[in-house]
Formats: sequence, C-alpha cells, structure tokens
Amino acid sequence: MKVLVAMSGGVDSSVAAGLLIEQGHEVVGATLKLWGGVSDSGCCSVADVDDARRVAQILGVDHHVFNYSQEFERHVVAPFVAGHAAGESPNPCIECNRHIKFELLFERARRLGFDAVATGHHAQVADRDGQFALARGADDQKDQSYVLGYLTQRELSMLLLPIGSMRKTDVRAHAERLGLRTWDKPDSQDVCFIEASKGREVFLRQRIDLTPAKLVDRGSGEVVGETAAAELMTVGQRRGVLPGRDGEKRYVARVDIANHTIEVGRLDDVLISVIGLDRDSITFAREPLGDGTRVLAQWSAHGVAQPAILRDGDTWHLELERPARPVAAGQTVVLYRVDDPTIVEGAAIVTLS
Amino acid sequence: MTLYYFDHAASAPRRDEVADAMSRFEHGVVGNPSGSHRASREARRALEEARDEVAAFVGAKPGGVVFTGGGTESCQLAIAGVAHHHRRSHDRTDIVISRVEHHAIIDAAELMASDFDDVHVRYVDVDADGVVDLDSLESVLSADTAIVSVMTVNNEIGVRQPLDGVNSLAKNLVPGGVPTHSDAVAAAPWLNLPMVTASMDMLSICAHKMGGPVNSGALILRNDIALDALVPGGGQERGRRGGTVDVAAAVGLAAAARITRRELAEVNDRVIDYQQKLSAALSYLPGARITAPGALKVPGTVHVTFEGLASDEILFLIDQEGVCASAAASCSSGAAQPSHVLAAMGVESERARGSLRLSMGAETTADDVDSVIRILSAVIHRLRDEA
Repeated sequence: MKVLVAMSGGVDSSVAAGLLIEQGHEVVGATLKLWGGVSDSGCCSVADVDDARRVAQILGVDHHVFNYSQEFERHVVAPFVAGHAAGESPNPCIECNRHIKFELLFERARRLGFDAVATGHHAQVADRDGQFALARGADDQKDQSYVLGYLTQRELSMLLLPIGSMRKTDVRAHAERLGLRTWDKPDSQDVCFIEASKGREVFLRQRIDLTPAKLVDRGSGEVVGETAAAELMTVGQRRGVLPGRDGEKRYVARVDIANHTIEVGRLDDVLISVIGLDRDSITFAREPLGDGTRVLAQWSAHGVAQPAILRDGDTWHLELERPARPVAAGQTVVLYRVDDPTIVEGAAIVTLS
Repeated sequence: MTLYYFDHAASAPRRDEVADAMSRFEHGVVGNPSGSHRASREARRALEEARDEVAAFVGAKPGGVVFTGGGTESCQLAIAGVAHHHRRSHDRTDIVISRVEHHAIIDAAELMASDFDDVHVRYVDVDADGVVDLDSLESVLSADTAIVSVMTVNNEIGVRQPLDGVNSLAKNLVPGGVPTHSDAVAAAPWLNLPMVTASMDMLSICAHKMGGPVNSGALILRNDIALDALVPGGGQERGRRGGTVDVAAAVGLAAAARITRRELAEVNDRVIDYQQKLSAALSYLPGARITAPGALKVPGTVHVTFEGLASDEILFLIDQEGVCASAAASCSSGAAQPSHVLAAMGVESERARGSLRLSMGAETTADDVDSVIRILSAVIHRLRDEA
C-alpha cells in the first residue's frame, strides 16, 4: 500500500514509519507545520521537523512538510482562546486531531493518491462485527484512544496505527535497533503552542484580557479568596484554592466569568451525577447509541473510565453511576463499551450543566 | 527520473567554470590574503582580481566591494551597519523598507527596532502588482530616516522596482539626502546592474543565484557611505567586515558574475520566450491567475496562483514527476509559508494558499518548459477533479 505517515519528530511516529517500511509498504513521511509562533515543547517546532526529516532520511523515504498553520490557528488556537474567555476548558489536542490530522490531512492524502494514513498514536484499529473500531493501545500507561475519540468508519477505514499493539519500551527498543536518533527523545506532554516555561497565563494574556474574580464558598456564600484570572480556573480543580475554615479541601464548582465569580465548595457539595453533552458534537464510531445504553465514560486523557448511562431526551447527557468531581464545559467525554471496554463507541463535548 | 529544475530563484545550478576557478583555492596551501609571504600574495592577487570583476559587474569602484558570506549577510550589514552608524549622531533612527522585501531585509530591520527603542521600521506600500508606491515612500521619509532599502527585483514574483524614483525621493526630499540600498540578489542573474541600479548607493548580491557557491556574496558601496562593521574582527575589508576573507568564495562569486555578464543578452532573449509560453499555457488552467501580468519582470520567473488549491499538494504531485519548484520563499522548516509579498499586494489569503513559483535560468530548455506545462496541467486537472 501507499502510506502517508504523519511524522511528528517523536519516537512513536518514527517507529511507525520504520515498521511500515519493513512490512513492505510504500511510505512517504509528512510533518505538519502547525504553529507559527514561539514553542519550546510539544510537537511542531523546527527542531521536531528536523528530527522527522532526519528519521525519514535514515529510513530512506521521502519526507515533506505540510503547512497547516493558518488552519491550526482557525480550528485549534482561536477556539482554545475563545473557550477560555467563556470559562470553558477545551482540549486543543483533540481539536487538532479532529480537524487537522483526521480531516484535512486525510482529505489531502486521498487527493495525493495514498491508500492509507498512519500515525504513531498508542491506539489500535480493530475489527468488530465486520466494522472498523478504535481500541485502546496495548500499553495502558500510554493509551491515546481518548484523543482519537471522534474517529468514524470513514477515517478508521483508512488509518494504520502500527505501534498501537506495542509497549512504549518496545517502541524505544525498536527505534534504537533501527538507528533512529529519536529513540530516547522524551515524550511530548504539553500543548505545543504554549511555551512550557511561561505557561497558559502568559499565552492567554497576549490574546485576551483576563478577568479578576472572587472565590465564593458555595455552602456559606462567603468570599474565601480571589484570583487575577478566572479564565485559568478549571471546574473540578483544587490547585490554587485554599482549604475552608473547617480545614476541608475546596474544589472549583463553577466558573462565572461575567459575574467575576468562582464558586468553590467541599467535595460533597460539588460532586455531580449528570454530565451534559453538546448535541452537535456527538460522534459515534459505528451506529449511534440509543437512550439508556450503558457505557464507560472517560473525560480526561489519562482518567479512569466511569460507568454511566447515556440519555437522549430533550438534551443528551450521561447519568453517572457514581458521583464524580465536576467536569469543565468544553472538555471531551469519550464513551467506551461496557462489554468490550477497550473499544471506543463515540465522543462528545461537555456542556455547561 | 528526469529532473525538471524550475527553482533557479532558490538556487541556480552550479557552473563548471565556477568550480574550476575555485578549485585552485580549495586544495593544499592557500595563503591568508592578509599575510605578506608569497602564498599570501598569490591569494591576495586572486582576491583583488575577483574584486575588480565584481566591481565591473555591478558598476562600482573596486574599493567599494565588501565580500560577505552571502546575500543575507550583505543585507544585514547594509541595514544594521548604517542604522548603527546613524544612531550615534541622531535621537531617532528610521529604517525605510518596502513591504515586499526579502526577510533578509525585513528581519534585519525588525531586529534593530526590537533591540533599540529609538529605531523604527517604516514600511512602504506596494500596488496590486507588487510595485513600490512612490507616494507611500514620500509619506514615510523624514529627517529621521537613516536608510531606504528597496529591492531591485522581487524574489517571489520577479517584478522590478522603480529604483531611480526611490533614490530621487531619498536624495531630494530629505535635507542632505538619505543613503539608499537595493537587494539585487534576484536581479543579478538577469539585469544590467551598472545601468539599472546606477542611482543606488549600496547593493547586495550573492553568488549562488548565478551558478556560484552559496555562502558567498558582496555588499557594494558605490559612494562613501558610512557604516559600522557588525563583525569588526581584524579589520579586513577596510574595516567593514572582519575575519579572514574566503578567497575561493570570492573567486567563485567573480566567476559567476563573469559568466552572467557574458551570457546576459543571450539568456534573456531565450528565457523571455519560455516565460511567455509558460505564462500563456498556465493562464488557461482552471482557476489559474498569473501574478502581476502587466508588470515589468525579469524573464526567469513565472508566478501563478490557483484558486481553491493548496501549494503543498501541487508541489507534492509535481515533485513525484520530477519537477522542482516552490510556493514562495522557503522557510527554515521546509514548509511553504503564507507569502508576505502576496499579502502586501492585496491577494486574498485563500488564493495565496495556492501559489506556485516556476523559476528558470541559463540551463532551462524548451523541452523542460513543454514538460512542466504537460505535468502541471495534469496535476491541476487531477486536483480539480478530486476536489
């Protein structure tokens, strides 16, 4: 097959390309130039492009750089900023996968005559009842199925995930065997367009005015603190919130930018049992799930999936079987199968509830 | 695979005559040209012969030729060297440049402005063809202006600039006159520089756009322009650029200039026919628009935009057929960047996304042109069908 490998410059996609070549595929590497600004982390700096190019040279395949910086600004960075301005916590990596890698890059690969696109994600394309399904990666510490939660049959039918069945240590050993200079490169952890040394606050301040706000205790109504930037507070977080007078920990329950108020409360006061889902965002990998379906819901990249029931009434929402810390609007919930818990059924964006 | 090389404006094919001239100074004993013994004297002689040749090529006195490490360094020395000198006796220093300059100029000017509060960059607008608007230049000139820099020919679209008008305003509007510089890197393979750039005080050229080595260029000072060295070093090049002068690189630049001068009329005559043929053929492709169709251009460049298509995809598919071309100026990562030149001309960003520059030179043949027309037509129709 003629395969376009999305090479980030990291060890996973380097090995993905190497494995496909060994399997006899006709491989071309491509690195996406996404962020035009300053970056010291993540996956799109000039140094990462250099790494990807050098790996392709060592493997003996052509390498191209595709510039998606305008699209990245439009589909990822601008919504990230707008979400924060509205008191939400969007996940830029998911939006990048959804709009850039699995929409624009896939369309491009088809136009350029490729049979498949491969990435270095730790997830697997499986067969379930004759249909394609996305499954968790074999290395449960590195599983990235969450950030691929929006894939449908259309993308899965054209996707190869060569390292999804491997453990990370095996990936690194493989890279070393192939003589790739990325074999010991640290994993990327951070949002690529935010400088790790400066953080989210510095980035957001370049784009929007941040709002000072009072922290108000949900139980007593008294003001218990203040913050210079309400946009940086995430529903569910405890960091930056002082314990109450009773000595108990407090959690952010609600971010209300318009009224300059952050509601905080004791864990018992803030626990939720329902998560609202944005109807337009709901995407199913195969057939749509109906009202009353039991699922396992995961709402952070490395969170534990929680049992819940999907409801389709006036609104889409999840009824959690066990109360949970509140979930910020804008985050993505990925739904896994109860009877086959490595398989992704779909994904949706959390609404304000 | 047959190679169809249409990226002369990025780097022209190396000429054997250049390599032959350089090889004498790339093996064995090569004296330091600043020394006094016979090996140094021999090196110095070659260096000064090269200087004479480069001076004749651009129309300047040999004493005004400063050998540098290429076009970018030459531009940096002109902009920063003059601005630094100006700052020592003025409260404010304005650097006036056009919006379509190469990044060698823009980044040199912006770096000065970001480093020093009293330094400012003033941009001169261009019209829809990318030609500098002299009214706009007039409006930004002032007693604070330290230097005016306008390129001879734009590297992306091949359009020529009205240098005499630029220089006339710089000299007549500001009391005492402002020094002028022109980045002639893209012009050098095509134009009679002594004639076209006669009015300008300073000129930057490089060797590799003319079939010479990379990392070799010159800043030419026609008149007694005062500038600070950026690398003082040992005072070489009359104190304008320190460091041991690379004799082989200077000899390579001189050889490339000599070949260019010798072949100038013949290559211009031949390639202008290719340019007309290529422009006409491409203009019939769906969604195509030739950039600045009515403007005065050098023969080597055909710039075209394709509505609704992406440069990355066009380049990928023609590369599969052996065609080497580019979208605009290449950047460090190898990705095509949105063009500041097209933006300054008012080209919508959607159209600029589908831009393609085909650039030709002395080696281009009629067969190459026919092949690139055939390949590009097939690719554009294929992408249209897929879309």
